[in-house]
Amino acid sequence: MKLVLVGLSHKSAPLKVRECLAPPPEAVGGELERCAALPGVREAFLVSTCNRVEALAVMDEDADPGEVARWLAHGRGVAAEEIAPHLYTHQDTDAVRHLYRVASSLDSLVVGEPQILGQIKEAYRTAAMAGTSRAVLNRLLHKTFQVAKRVRSETNIGGAAVSISFAAVELAKKIFDSLEGLAVMVVGAGEMAELALEHLVGQGAGRVLVANRTLERAVELARPFGGEALELKDMPKLLGQVDIVIASTGSMLPVITLEMARSALKKRRGRPLFFIDIAVPRDVEPAVGELDGCYLYDIDDLSSVVEAGKASRAEAAGEAESIVAQEVVKFMAWLKGLEAVPTISALSAKAEGIRAAELSRTLKDLGISDPEQAAALDRLTLALVKKLIHDPIMFVKHASHDKSEDTRREQLALVRRIFNIEENGDS
Amino acid sequence: MSTALHWATLAAYVFGGLVSMGYLFKQRHGLYRMGLALLWVGFGLHSAALAAAWISSGVLPAANLRQSLDLFSWAIMGAALVINLRLEMKIMGAVAGPLCALMLLAASVLPKVEGVTSSAFKSLWIVLHVLSIMAGYGLLALTFLGGVLYLVQDHALRAKKLGPAFQRLPSLGRLDSLSHTSLVAGFLLMTIGLITGAVYAQITLGSYWRWDPKEVWALITWLLYAALLHTRLVQGWRGRRGAWLALIAFAALVFTFLGAGLLFPSYHSFASLAGFGGTTP
Repeated sequence: MKLVLVGLSHKSAPLKVRECLAPPPEAVGGELERCAALPGVREAFLVSTCNRVEALAVMDEDADPGEVARWLAHGRGVAAEEIAPHLYTHQDTDAVRHLYRVASSLDSLVVGEPQILGQIKEAYRTAAMAGTSRAVLNRLLHKTFQVAKRVRSETNIGGAAVSISFAAVELAKKIFDSLEGLAVMVVGAGEMAELALEHLVGQGAGRVLVANRTLERAVELARPFGGEALELKDMPKLLGQVDIVIASTGSMLPVITLEMARSALKKRRGRPLFFIDIAVPRDVEPAVGELDGCYLYDIDDLSSVVEAGKASRAEAAGEAESIVAQEVVKFMAWLKGLEAVPTISALSAKAEGIRAAELSRTLKDLGISDPEQAAALDRLTLALVKKLIHDPIMFVKHASHDKSEDTRREQLALVRRIFNIEENGDS
Repeated sequence: MSTALHWATLAAYVFGGLVSMGYLFKQRHGLYRMGLALLWVGFGLHSAALAAAWISSGVLPAANLRQSLDLFSWAIMGAALVINLRLEMKIMGAVAGPLCALMLLAASVLPKVEGVTSSAFKSLWIVLHVLSIMAGYGLLALTFLGGVLYLVQDHALRAKKLGPAFQRLPSLGRLDSLSHTSLVAGFLLMTIGLITGAVYAQITLGSYWRWDPKEVWALITWLLYAALLHTRLVQGWRGRRGAWLALIAFAALVFTFLGAGLLFPSYHSFASLAGFGGTTP
């Protein structure tokens, strides 16, 4: 038995290849059943996101991993040769390590982004529904979820901001604690402001106001958020009603002056006001940041937050790699133990078969009909057999933990030969 | 018995503080939980130690600096743990643990002064006076801590230095809630403490107010906290100004507690408390 992982990701293939390979979500279940029916494939799992398409299969030892690669490319309207250079194949330890790294978002475009774990969970659900995830994959995927959780809780991998919008959200949380119910005003209607607004609303910000030179554009930006649109000249009056201001106009002069901020603060009765100025040249007078209760971050400040965040994530990624390495060793030990299971059960079954046959013959030959005597003989033979096969079973278990694969196989084969147990486990 | 409890409390605070500091460095949630559990155990032992001392001497153990420090440390830990139930603040254990341990250690090295057994110390009024003043002090110490942490976090946000301190300190909003809650409750208890003290003075000494140095300083402290509460509630002084005022008010509180008790000869001073019989001021 071996684990085979075949796939491609943003690191190995351009978008046009990745989108060719991704099956439509509703077809994944059927595709998995088809994969599990391939020669030598015992279990199958497929994860498909915008950044990666990967198949994981449990295969017989002598099966061809190429089967999985061909299945992945089949019926996608693209030549297998075109995909081949972008595909990677990992086996056993490497496959487990790769899966753990992907789930812990160490292989993601943005290291530490949390979405991938949800996508893998969803993919697992599909495989479980299709019945193509059984003993080995069930165990492996549950372990994968635990590893990803461990990485998230024991390292700071998701804790630092790596985009301007994320930085804005993180800073807002450090000022207001929770974004729940906060009012946000966007001044100007740039694309980056829209993205930052989206993030803030996603984190619970409530009221949205959009002020723009042209009211039409303000209405357009405010609509998806259920916000209010207003003209730029009305902005100063409402400044005191909002908690966060995202400024991104194309104006050459500051549109938010010290005076405006001061009068807004008075109306806020001590509640802080957070300015995110992503305009170049700047929209908010720098002196605003000096006021007690005002926090002002311009695009350079935010960029340095992002850079620091990237460095912090890189450091956390190092710690995460060592967690992954430990967990891979644990899983492989379990998997190796699994290889010995058929030999152990065959050995036990053979011993029990011989015992039962010999016992019944002896009882018949001696003409024993007393149930008590029969039970005593039963106990005697059971104890004898148990004691006799205890050491060979211990030997097999120990052999399965041997680090060298060749030695492990040789030792298992030796036990099978000694006890005349065939390769498939039957005697 | 109470000596063993005292050292056990100290050990629990030291270990609780160390584990909580470990959490700040390693950011493992298990360490936070363990640190907090140790501090709760310490607080339980501390309460038992104080109860044992109270039972064995028959009077509230607040008659000298040693006992007062012990009680103050208990009040701070109690306030920190109880407030933390509502406003979970993961830095709390790392601050309260070492602070209370230091206060207990200071109490341990101070000489034991024996002999306050006067029946005047058994009055319900003095029990109410001392306990509410101490609980109020414990809470107001948290207002002070909230103010200090607020200034540090505010500085990090303004200087745009978003290093480990920024990451580990609570948000300004949460620190402000800590200051607010502890200030309102602490001020209320301190007020009750002053009123019950005045009633007690009337009963035992025949006048409500004697302009004793400790009383004067307590009044100054109370006025400062009243100003802090007023500026916060009426004028919206929350940010840096509020935090600075909280620091000044706490300095006055510490002086009332230590300075006025040690420097001035008065019937409140720690030296005369030991022999306080309730008849001679």
